[in-house]
Amino acid sequence: MKPNIQIRGLNYILSAALMIVLLTACEKRLDILPYQSITADQALETEGDVNVTLIGAYDGAQSAATYGGDIMVLNDLIGNNANINFTGTFAGLTDAYQTLMTSNNSFAAGTWIGAYNTINRCNNVLSALDKVTSTPARKSSVEGQALFIRASMYFELVRLYAKAIGDGDASSNPGVPLVLTKTVSVSNADYIPRSSVKAVYDQVVADLTKAETLLPASNTIYATKWAAAAQLSRVHLMLKNYAAAGDAANRVIAGSGKTLNPDFTKLWFTFINNGGANPTEYIFSFTVTAQDGANSLNTYFGRNVGIAGTAGRSDCKIKAAHIALYETGDVRKTFFALSGGNNYTRKHLDRYGNVPIVRLAEMYLTRAEANFRNSTAVGATPLSDINLIRTRAGLPVLTTLTLDAITKERYLELAFEGHNLHEAKRLQKPVGLLSWNSPKLILPIPQREIDVNKSLVQNAGY
Amino acid sequence: MIKKLLSAIMAFLLFMAVAFAQNTTVTGKVTDENGAPIVGVTVLVKGEKTGVNTDATGNFSIPRAVGKTLLFSAVGYESTQGVTKGGSLQVSMKTDTKSLSEVVVTGFGGSQIKRELTGNIARVKGKDIEFMPTPSVDAALQGKAAGVFVNSQSGKLGQAVTVRVRGNSSISANSQPLYVLDGVPITSQDQSTYGGDMNPLTDLNQNDIESIEVLKDASAGAIYGSRAANGVVLITTKRGKAGKTNVTLNVQSGYAEATKRLPMLDSEQYAELILEAAKYSDDKDGTPLNDPFSYTTYVKNDVMDYYSYGQWSKDPKKSYDWQDAVFTKGPYKQADLQIRGGTDKTKFFSSFQHLEQTGTIIGNSLQRTTGRLNLDQKANDWLDLGVSMSLSKTFNRRLPDDNAFSNPLQAVALNPMTPFKDPQTGLPAGAPPGDVNIPLYYNPVLSIDYASFTQDVFRTFGNSYLKMKLVKGLTFQTEFGMDYLSQNEEGYFRSETVRNQTSAVRGAGNNTGSFITNYNTNSYFAYNLVKNKHNLSATMGMQYQQSQAKYNSTAGTDFPSNSYQKIASAATKSGGSSSQTDFRFLSYFLRSNYTLMDRYIVAASGRIDASSRFGKESRKGFFPALSAGWIMTNEKFLSKVDVLSFLKLRASYGIVGNAEIGNFPQLGLFSGDAGYAGNAGQRPSQLRNDSLRWETTKQADFGIDFGILNNRITGEIDYYQKKTTGLLLTVNVPASTGFTSIVRNVGKLENSGFEFVLNTQNLVGAFKWSTNFNIAFNKGKVTDIQKQIIEGGVSSMNRVEEGYNVGVFFTPEYAGVDPNNGDALFYKNTKGADGKLDKTKTNKYSEAQRIVVGDPNPDMIFGFTNNFSYKGFDLSVFFNGIRGNQNNIYGMGRYSSASMLYEDNNTADQLGRWRKPGDITNIPQVRLYSTNGSQASSRYIVDGSYIRLRSVTFGYSVDARLLRKYKIEKLRVYVSGQNLLTFTKYPYWDPEVNADSFDSNIAKGNDFYTPPQPRTLLAGINISF
Repeated sequence: MKPNIQIRGLNYILSAALMIVLLTACEKRLDILPYQSITADQALETEGDVNVTLIGAYDGAQSAATYGGDIMVLNDLIGNNANINFTGTFAGLTDAYQTLMTSNNSFAAGTWIGAYNTINRCNNVLSALDKVTSTPARKSSVEGQALFIRASMYFELVRLYAKAIGDGDASSNPGVPLVLTKTVSVSNADYIPRSSVKAVYDQVVADLTKAETLLPASNTIYATKWAAAAQLSRVHLMLKNYAAAGDAANRVIAGSGKTLNPDFTKLWFTFINNGGANPTEYIFSFTVTAQDGANSLNTYFGRNVGIAGTAGRSDCKIKAAHIALYETGDVRKTFFALSGGNNYTRKHLDRYGNVPIVRLAEMYLTRAEANFRNSTAVGATPLSDINLIRTRAGLPVLTTLTLDAITKERYLELAFEGHNLHEAKRLQKPVGLLSWNSPKLILPIPQREIDVNKSLVQNAGY
Repeated sequence: MIKKLLSAIMAFLLFMAVAFAQNTTVTGKVTDENGAPIVGVTVLVKGEKTGVNTDATGNFSIPRAVGKTLLFSAVGYESTQGVTKGGSLQVSMKTDTKSLSEVVVTGFGGSQIKRELTGNIARVKGKDIEFMPTPSVDAALQGKAAGVFVNSQSGKLGQAVTVRVRGNSSISANSQPLYVLDGVPITSQDQSTYGGDMNPLTDLNQNDIESIEVLKDASAGAIYGSRAANGVVLITTKRGKAGKTNVTLNVQSGYAEATKRLPMLDSEQYAELILEAAKYSDDKDGTPLNDPFSYTTYVKNDVMDYYSYGQWSKDPKKSYDWQDAVFTKGPYKQADLQIRGGTDKTKFFSSFQHLEQTGTIIGNSLQRTTGRLNLDQKANDWLDLGVSMSLSKTFNRRLPDDNAFSNPLQAVALNPMTPFKDPQTGLPAGAPPGDVNIPLYYNPVLSIDYASFTQDVFRTFGNSYLKMKLVKGLTFQTEFGMDYLSQNEEGYFRSETVRNQTSAVRGAGNNTGSFITNYNTNSYFAYNLVKNKHNLSATMGMQYQQSQAKYNSTAGTDFPSNSYQKIASAATKSGGSSSQTDFRFLSYFLRSNYTLMDRYIVAASGRIDASSRFGKESRKGFFPALSAGWIMTNEKFLSKVDVLSFLKLRASYGIVGNAEIGNFPQLGLFSGDAGYAGNAGQRPSQLRNDSLRWETTKQADFGIDFGILNNRITGEIDYYQKKTTGLLLTVNVPASTGFTSIVRNVGKLENSGFEFVLNTQNLVGAFKWSTNFNIAFNKGKVTDIQKQIIEGGVSSMNRVEEGYNVGVFFTPEYAGVDPNNGDALFYKNTKGADGKLDKTKTNKYSEAQRIVVGDPNPDMIFGFTNNFSYKGFDLSVFFNGIRGNQNNIYGMGRYSSASMLYEDNNTADQLGRWRKPGDITNIPQVRLYSTNGSQASSRYIVDGSYIRLRSVTFGYSVDARLLRKYKIEKLRVYVSGQNLLTFTKYPYWDPEVNADSFDSNIAKGNDFYTPPQPRTLLAGINISF
């Protein structure tokens, strides 16, 4: 049937109208934005923005790859492998434990990436300090916290990825790239070489020194003046600036108001026993909750030993040889859980346990060593500091002291808390069959970083 | 289209027939091979121009035809003829299997007869994949379309399938094709939050499908412009037919089992190996074997005795193959009902399906219920309208991802002396109150018995259209379609699983909702003009797509008891989230075809796309294509070559694109997910790139279509070249910036290859035999990535390297074992000044350079189908295969073929290890807890080629004449088997593998305790009335 003329006319009009509708479809509908994110140019406009970015920096530092625990785990697996039987299945950790790392080690890459990610978060905070206008004290605190976290990250990086102090010339040994401003976009200027070990340490010392002056004496779970001083004491110890290390430790002991926990065994299980609260001895820790936070010391050292809330991969079995190092009667000797024929340290059994970064006992040990080495008695005599630690462990007091006795006490007190690699390097003691300055004890610069940034030099042996 | 046209002609001719009816009329009925009536068959008296069409019951009546030859023709059937001296004639027509007369869907309402195509479109008929127990339509394409590589990845039900059309066209952007269902681009990417990627195409009942067209070259794909670089899969569902209402019921049931078991060590063999390893380590340390602190003592007491509940020392022969604990026989049941019919004005197709499938791995099951109604209405002379609507509910009890201790297949890692049950409690090993630290690793059976994770997907595919005839030859069609995916996932982990799910001290639960709303509207004009020797058609219009994805989730711990499993009862709400992400596309397209004298064809098409995924300045892209064809057999000089019944040359060139890089890759972003200890925080999360734009692929295709011996042999030969530039690449930046990557348009890659399709009717008598064969060769090469390092997969062994295909295996080269000391050796492969690789062997792994040692992409893929029929019997045998690809077994190999670096059970081949000086073997000495050859290397890169007997179906159709009195048109019973045989050198379970935990564009070919494909056997019955 033929459409009549009228319908045909109507259809032409209809066609034209449809055509117009088609061609004017609205392109504005393509202007949409994400929901869980905001554009970077509107992220740091108010004091509130700076505050939440600072929280973000803590979040970064708490990630598993960094102070959530991998830094400490790597330290013990590499530096304490004579005392641990590692049976885990993460190849990156197995290789670290066997000191057979390659430049592709996933944990070496993870820690590097995590640390720099955190550093950029700190640099973002530092870039917007002018937005913090509520009180000068708040501004100081924000700046101090960002500097503390940034310096801590650089300290860990330079210790893990570069030659130790005393191994050649620190002012020419490559350290790690120093990035002190936030990244907005990536240009050629961002492909930077490694600064010298000395330059990195200088920056760390400067940042921590400044942070110590800026930070408040108390700051809930966040970094305080004492956290900065404690970290500074570690830095100086690595640098063999014993007087400065002892002084910093002394400032913490004298000023923080913290006390040693009378019972060594109550220092852990912060979640299971304390509902998440820290023992008085913690100077700085990262808080873990059921919702948030990582504790990879628990992941790898932990095990379900039948106490509700204990968990872990049972990867790090403590060798009998280690337990034999403790004197009879040492409460620390019994701080192991025997399960399935193996011993596990009780320090990291709590699935949601907080991750201690520095506790007061270390400050006594540092002060004692510094005073002993310099024949000084800043704050107290080395003997009284060491005996404080021994008494708490249920051991008889010593009457004479040697450097070996101090470092042994330090080793036993802080065992499996992630110190041993750096202790070996600091004290120039061998690790297993390897000399303290063996290249195998230095993490590789991640291959992905070498590949992408041609101005980086790889560490020897990779 | 054609059907509608035919109906119109039929009506007209019937009218004529009635008008001129005389007594010499011949009446009769036309039926198909199964006795079902065929509607709309044109019946002509030879030598005359007038004719009639068969009616809805297949009957016809044609005047003045007694004694004359009648010609019968219909689309989809072979033409036939008949003479009668009486007044009635029964005619049976054969289905036309000569593919050249097929009509191929081209998108946006278009269709073309295959012989006139100038682009490359592979067509798979719904009939060929009907009632197959393949889980989804993409898996059903396997081996059916030349150049379409399908890898089902895993034997887990409903999991994602890799599909590559003519190779990988991208590195960082998605390389899966675009799926378009009845005009609507549908959500085809994983939406699950647990385990491996799922396949949203599982929600589609593949028995609803009339045809699948894969648009492979640029000419065919350009109308989908920016979204066509990976190919476009057009899925067209069945629609109603005028005529008697046809009801088909198909019921099938059977069972599935894993295609293979892997030989593992038994208790005695394991003890031999681990004690030998312990002895090595003790000897090295100088520890006497019987020392209480020796490795040997430790292994005896604390490994073998401890993990066997003390049984090993009493009965060292007692052994358990943990595969027995995790593989199972899974029943399969499926019922389909399809009802199809209609009148001249109203046509409908409706279907119902219920499917129940149990996995071949414990704890895995899938149930799907779907319904569909497709309705077409001719409102009046100028207006047609219709709707398609499908509802489905898919339930899946999921398995964890491959790289989880709770993955059932990881049970093979457990010591063979560990019994399945704790002898004290009678419960599965490791279940409290027994020792939860037995077995060696978490017993995955606990996660099946004491936990569940389920996924419920409610899916609505809907589409409605209006089609108007505006003026002669010009129509306007507007369509509105929606794909609504609503998904609920629920997990509950009882306290028994706490070793694996550490938050489940007193139970842990989670609940996630995902709501993906995907709207699409197409509006287009179609014009068609046939004048003398000219045939012109054109389509022009616009498409707008808007997708919104909303997610929410909650998680809780501390439940009163395991009887309470909803978050409402959780004392601690341990997690909660909601999020949203959107994308939009606005596109204009044009397609035109011109045919001159049925010989010369030219076609042009193009599309302008704009997307929310790119910056304002760069978000528009233009994607044109041109093609031409020459039907040489219509030329005089070839018309006398009788053997050659059809010959066409065709060529096409065009540009298509890819924008599948996720949403908002162009923006510099902060994210608010950086809270700490209960306080909210933000972090910089993405670097900005204002100039980010489409990835473009230029593709040229040259093809020959031929038909020989009256088209009994038909085929296609194609050569193509695809060059992708401006790759949407996730480019690494120095991590010292605080970021690891940025998305940039960097780099180039290319694919080229040949495709051959051959369809033959080998025997056409009572015994019929036809063969469909397709084979494709693809060579992919990344030509420029500006030195970017892009890695993925197990131990980052997959890599993108210039000069090689995407995702090649890049790792040190294994050099076997030093016969003197049992050390594993590697080739140094240091590049010398002359460019040659130093083939010196070393036992120091760190001295060995990484080189390309394999490629997970096949060089060749093929499918080979043979169909036989004799009287009521039919047999279909389908093979498919791939060649030239390697798989990476390091995922499991690093534990189970690792010279006892771990306490894991080993694969049986490890017994062939080096034992004493002089031994020649490839398996190094076993050394407890020491690395000896277990590093990533070519030792674990193995041949992944296979040929698989993918399906065999044997059926018998009862003679239609016998059924007539029961009013049954067709009754067929059949048995069918899937994956019955696999020919391969692959040492693990299944060469068709890709571990879900590592799957990405570049991470292919990885095996990580990945479940093998099921071997399914089933029997079915199909009745039509």
